[in-house]
Amino acid sequence: MTGFLLPLLPLLPWAVAAWLFGVGLYAIVTSRHYVHLIGCLSVVQASTYVLLLAAGYRHGAPAPIFYSRPPTLAVDPVLQALVLTDIVIGATVTALLLALVLQLHKRRGTIDPERVRPMRR
Amino acid sequence: MSALLALALQPVLPVAIPLTVGGLMLSVSKRLPRKVPDVVAILVALLCCGLCALLATRSAAAPIVSWFGGWTPRQGQPIGIAFVVTPAGGWFACFVCLLFAATLVFSWGFFEKTAAHFHVLMILFMAGMVGFCLTHDLFNLFVWFELMSVAAFALTGYALRDSALSGALNFTVVNTIGSYLILGGIGLVYSEVGALDFAGLAYGIAGVPHSPVVVASFVLLSSGLLIKGAQVPYQFWLADAHSVAPSPVSVIFSGAMVAIGLYGVAELYWTVFQAAPVVQHLMRSMLLGMGEASAIVGGVMALLQRHFKRLLAFSTVSHCGILLIGIALASRQGLAGTLLYMLGHGLVKGALFMVAGIMLAVLGGIDEIGLRGAGRRIWPAGIAMGFGGLLLAGLPVGVMDTGLERIGTAIHDAHARVALPAVMIGLVCTGAAVLRVTGRVFLGLGPVAGEEERSPTEQEREDANRPLWLMLVPTAALILLSLPIAHDADRLGWVAASQLMQPRTASILGLGLGSGPGSGLDAVPASALVAVPAWSPAPVSWLPWLATALALGLAALGLSWHRLPGTTIRLYERSVGPVVAGLSATQSGLVADYVTWITVGLALFGILSAFG
Repeated sequence: MTGFLLPLLPLLPWAVAAWLFGVGLYAIVTSRHYVHLIGCLSVVQASTYVLLLAAGYRHGAPAPIFYSRPPTLAVDPVLQALVLTDIVIGATVTALLLALVLQLHKRRGTIDPERVRPMRR
Repeated sequence: MSALLALALQPVLPVAIPLTVGGLMLSVSKRLPRKVPDVVAILVALLCCGLCALLATRSAAAPIVSWFGGWTPRQGQPIGIAFVVTPAGGWFACFVCLLFAATLVFSWGFFEKTAAHFHVLMILFMAGMVGFCLTHDLFNLFVWFELMSVAAFALTGYALRDSALSGALNFTVVNTIGSYLILGGIGLVYSEVGALDFAGLAYGIAGVPHSPVVVASFVLLSSGLLIKGAQVPYQFWLADAHSVAPSPVSVIFSGAMVAIGLYGVAELYWTVFQAAPVVQHLMRSMLLGMGEASAIVGGVMALLQRHFKRLLAFSTVSHCGILLIGIALASRQGLAGTLLYMLGHGLVKGALFMVAGIMLAVLGGIDEIGLRGAGRRIWPAGIAMGFGGLLLAGLPVGVMDTGLERIGTAIHDAHARVALPAVMIGLVCTGAAVLRVTGRVFLGLGPVAGEEERSPTEQEREDANRPLWLMLVPTAALILLSLPIAHDADRLGWVAASQLMQPRTASILGLGLGSGPGSGLDAVPASALVAVPAWSPAPVSWLPWLATALALGLAALGLSWHRLPGTTIRLYERSVGPVVAGLSATQSGLVADYVTWITVGLALFGILSAFG
């Protein structure tokens, strides 16, 4: 019954990446709490993990661990390295953002994005 | 001697030295005597400036290529990561280091309470920018971009004041979304072409020029870079971040960081994407439109500000719009003009932000109305500000004018109807805004408004622990550096643009130009590198004078507003007033609004690439 859906299966990771990106942006726009907002930013970032891993995936191929001679087919190791770097960068940005939010809370007593504006007009 | 020269010509040095010194300095920061971080940071910036200048000079004939770890391409397949120095990248990196050196002199002793952290962040910031200019690998480009961004985020919130913190949060959230867009673009193009080296990518894209994945990748990459480049509708974070960051940091932000995003767009278009027809179309439609809108919106918004740093921030949006127009015309003429205008604008805008820093330190404020007539005792800063304002308005001297003349010719050649008025509005409005502040603060012109208390931010002031001359010297140096002999600058810009546009499949990957899908690329004849066309007086050569005159007139109008007849003021309030109010309302300070505008920009990109 689901046979006609099978050709669409390779598109699934791309659709998931697009969905995560969109839903993350929507949550950022509607967020009323900076810690929540930073979590949503991580959701947006998760879309890039899925996208990169999907780009490197080869159907039926083993993990790229080579002992002596490379096999003819393996999952692309370059993209996995990119995802690792991506995770490191994401952790840096998240830590920095949380530190800023902590300082903001100390000074203003609120971390609602609607109530802290850089400048009165 | 030649061994020393060979060592100095390693393209990795201008990033390796600051990264190493930054790490070392952080590890011993608690035990360093007070002035040591200042001295070390300035020396590192000057050393990197010299190394980049050497690399840039040597790369005039052919790009300098360096593969990390000796992983050179095998059978035309790039398997390693390369640094490639072209005159454009080399001179831009040199300019970045120079601006850092001047800024570090300007901020001498400014941050000495903080155990060298400021200097470490500045050095890492510089390393990120230099790496961005020299790298030849898309993912490596992203890593340098992130290094630069994270250092910038931390420096913005450095003062830990309320407004600085919320400005830094807006800046970080918006720019991080931009970074993820870039990463998504990298993933897409890699999945289609299977390479990350620029030359490998260009070769692959030439084989599938009509692929929608390639177009989507360009949309994401250029959107991410244009968020950094502060182009409408992605520009909102800029005014928040630039106006609250410490003045020395704002010098770097406006002078170099914003322009580097646009440099990235130009480099990616010419070295990677130029073979794709839809991308060519997007340059002429979407990017040109964004540049025109930014030039106008930034100019009008600048006129409306009384917080001088915020005013300068909007003028940066406007001038970066002019830069993007030059890039989007996708011609050698436009690119050469843009590269020169980037340098000239960076120097002048850096000097103007230094004047803002002097005002904050010596006068203890930044509000135009509140400081009326207060600047008389620091009149040299006033001369710098007035001259800077004239240069922004298009006064025909120096590098900025040379670049502008090239951009103007490119606009004329491309028959871009909206671009010329947009550039004029940007020049006149930004120049007038700066001249108006000069008149009010340094000459005491204009009425006593009775609004001195309604300053738009909390009370601001920066430490006045430095002699005035120490702050004036780098300011004057930057202004003077923007006034070299126009003909030499013109020639340099032309060579840099030619090399940036040159396909590198043959020189980098060792592939023959005559075969394969890459051969269809627009190959530049070698003679074009040498032959700089004579500087034909542009058909618009009197326009810079007109712009300068109009800016002076508009500034005078702003200062004598109270003397106008009431009917004129009412007419203005009924006709232009609502438009202006609507424009200001978009700059809400809310990160949610800014993210919404990003999705609007992405949607426009999508519509234009699908149906345009």
